[in-house]
Amino acid sequence: MEPSLRGVKVIVAKLGLDTHWKGAIIVSYMLKNAGADVIYLGNSMPEDIINTVIDEDPHVVGVSSLGGAHLSLGSKLIEQAKKEGVFEERIYVMGGVIPPQDIPTLYQLGFSLVFGPGTTERDIVTNIVKKLREKGLLTTS
Amino acid sequence: MLDVASEARQIKNLINVKGITGLLPQLTDGTKLYNPNALKEIADQLASWSQKAGHTDFEISSYTILGVKDRLKKPLFATPLHVKDLVYTEEIGYPGEKPYTRGIHYTMYRGKKITIRPIVGFGTPEDTNKRIHFLLKSGATGINIVFDLPTIQEYDSDHPFAAGQVGLCGVAIDSVEDMKALFKDVPLNELSISLTTHYPSNTMILMSMYLVAAEEMGIDLGELRGTVQNCPIMETVVRTSPESLPPKAVYKLHVDNVEFLRKTVPKWNYVTYNGYNLREAGVDEFTEIAVAFANAIETSLQLMSRGHRPDDFLDRMAFFWGIGNDLFLEAARMRAARRLWYKITRYVLGAQSPRSWWCRFHVQTSGISLTREEPLNNIVRSTLHALAGILGGAQSMHVSCYDEAYSIPTEAAHLLSLRTQQIILEETGIADVIDPLAGSFYVEWLTNESEKGILSELDMLLKGGGIINAIEEGVLHRIIAEFSYKEQSMIQEGIIKLVGVNCYRSDAKVPEIDVFRYPPDAEERQRKKLEKLRKERDNETVADRLDAIKEAATREENLFPYVLEAVRERATEGEVFNVLKSIYGVWKPLVRI
Repeated sequence: MEPSLRGVKVIVAKLGLDTHWKGAIIVSYMLKNAGADVIYLGNSMPEDIINTVIDEDPHVVGVSSLGGAHLSLGSKLIEQAKKEGVFEERIYVMGGVIPPQDIPTLYQLGFSLVFGPGTTERDIVTNIVKKLREKGLLTTS
Repeated sequence: MLDVASEARQIKNLINVKGITGLLPQLTDGTKLYNPNALKEIADQLASWSQKAGHTDFEISSYTILGVKDRLKKPLFATPLHVKDLVYTEEIGYPGEKPYTRGIHYTMYRGKKITIRPIVGFGTPEDTNKRIHFLLKSGATGINIVFDLPTIQEYDSDHPFAAGQVGLCGVAIDSVEDMKALFKDVPLNELSISLTTHYPSNTMILMSMYLVAAEEMGIDLGELRGTVQNCPIMETVVRTSPESLPPKAVYKLHVDNVEFLRKTVPKWNYVTYNGYNLREAGVDEFTEIAVAFANAIETSLQLMSRGHRPDDFLDRMAFFWGIGNDLFLEAARMRAARRLWYKITRYVLGAQSPRSWWCRFHVQTSGISLTREEPLNNIVRSTLHALAGILGGAQSMHVSCYDEAYSIPTEAAHLLSLRTQQIILEETGIADVIDPLAGSFYVEWLTNESEKGILSELDMLLKGGGIINAIEEGVLHRIIAEFSYKEQSMIQEGIIKLVGVNCYRSDAKVPEIDVFRYPPDAEERQRKKLEKLRKERDNETVADRLDAIKEAATREENLFPYVLEAVRERATEGEVFNVLKSIYGVWKPLVRI
């Protein structure tokens, strides 16, 4: 059976100044097609993203970075999430052009998933479903 | 006779109702190229041919990256029946003559070689200056400066948003001092310089810095030749930012730039309507041109409503197209663009002077069509793109470098990009004869189909609201989003073929290429310069000049001269942007998923 994201709320944002929004949009469509309720925020700084997380209480926070700021702004995002108490009970996902050597660092920071170039639609949906299940955030089949 | 402002209002209303199509005259003059008897013979023979060949369904779509896909069904082969109504004198004509299908100049590349205009920009201005001198020594005839993200988005290098981004993907510019360092020992009065400023708002700031730098380097503004991008679509649709100015403000600044530069720097091209980046973001061959034309029509009408006659500004408007993989379609649609722009400027906007009818354009070979896998394959792709650009009659070109999917180009990759054009132009004879594809049944048919495709999209954008409305409503954002998603699916399913990526994949080890390494510490060096600048300048005067911009805005004046005076006193880019934000507020583009 196709993995489904029905009932899952996702926020997708472009992290910082990086303007390559195509990937983020494509992934947003993929998630929507898998049944998720997707809010696309556009370019946002970590504080704005976390403010929206507070308001919307999503299951998944996906940020896209192709401009090299994945570590600097990525760590700010997680820091801010922890500070505002919205880090738990959801997963944080990073996608974009991420050099392989930075991937372990992102996991250490607190990202649950990191998707680089070449990730397929199936990979993305399946892995998000899996992570949500692991965290007990997705109980329905 | 109506004054020009009322004329603009009237044109706008007419377009709103009838679209552009409804305002173009029907062809009446001239003799058809193919006589009816010949066409009948061909049709008869074709019927028996298709019986023999066993073909009845000839039409296919072709699926290329950034291509029109199902919007254009291609025949198995073309015959005069595809262009049976062709009137040579009206639709093809002669180089340098209306309708400019064959090119805008009488002698095209024999008279005026294409400008080889490589893109350059990385690190600090001092770093980029060295590469500029390398390119000029290697035969570049123009220079195309690209800026880093903080500069494009108008943040100083020491702004928290800029952290980690300074000098990446472009050069960092914060003040007039940087602009002077960028062009140190570059003869600005002899070269054509393109500043890829993208946005109208940063065009006002960066071009002001360029003008002050030129003045302080002892160059007369009347001698400066070059281009700024100043494209509203770039600021509102293609690039997105945490803090964008609202569309109406962007158009106001855009028109301010045109008005001021026209008067002050007479040889400067004050706008390049950017199709390229929109295309790369995710639209096809037709939408790219339609949006750029819609944009140019909107700003022309705004200039007219400020009292300028079309012939006072159209002659220095230019366009910028991307070139993708469908070679014949690429060449054909550039011919179509010239013919259609002629009709629009003459019959819709009412321009009288032939120079106003020219669709001049720079091209860049597509970057997004280049792959990370087997990067040397990209040399072949870019060469074919470059060929299409020359067959299409471009005025100026940048060939994207084969290491595009890795980083900004190494010096070697940059040189190869220059050499690609030089080989086509100097060794092959391709540029000897003007518009060599003309008269091909297929290419003439493609040219007609392109014109139709662009026109129908243009009508869709302009009827019932206009382009600014389409931006505010998120129409363009949605077109890009849907196109990109569809295209990505087609790549994954292998419908769009990418050699070495989703077909003919090889396990053979591909030699690694050199990848550009950024010069170290760009951010730190920019910060230090800013610190020094802020200490040494007259901060009170700077504050006064920044206030003056705000006051001019309340009087609805042209803001350019005020920005110019502020940057002359060493106001930084970020400081001017803060003023613009305080005047117009910020806006978030509407992207519905």
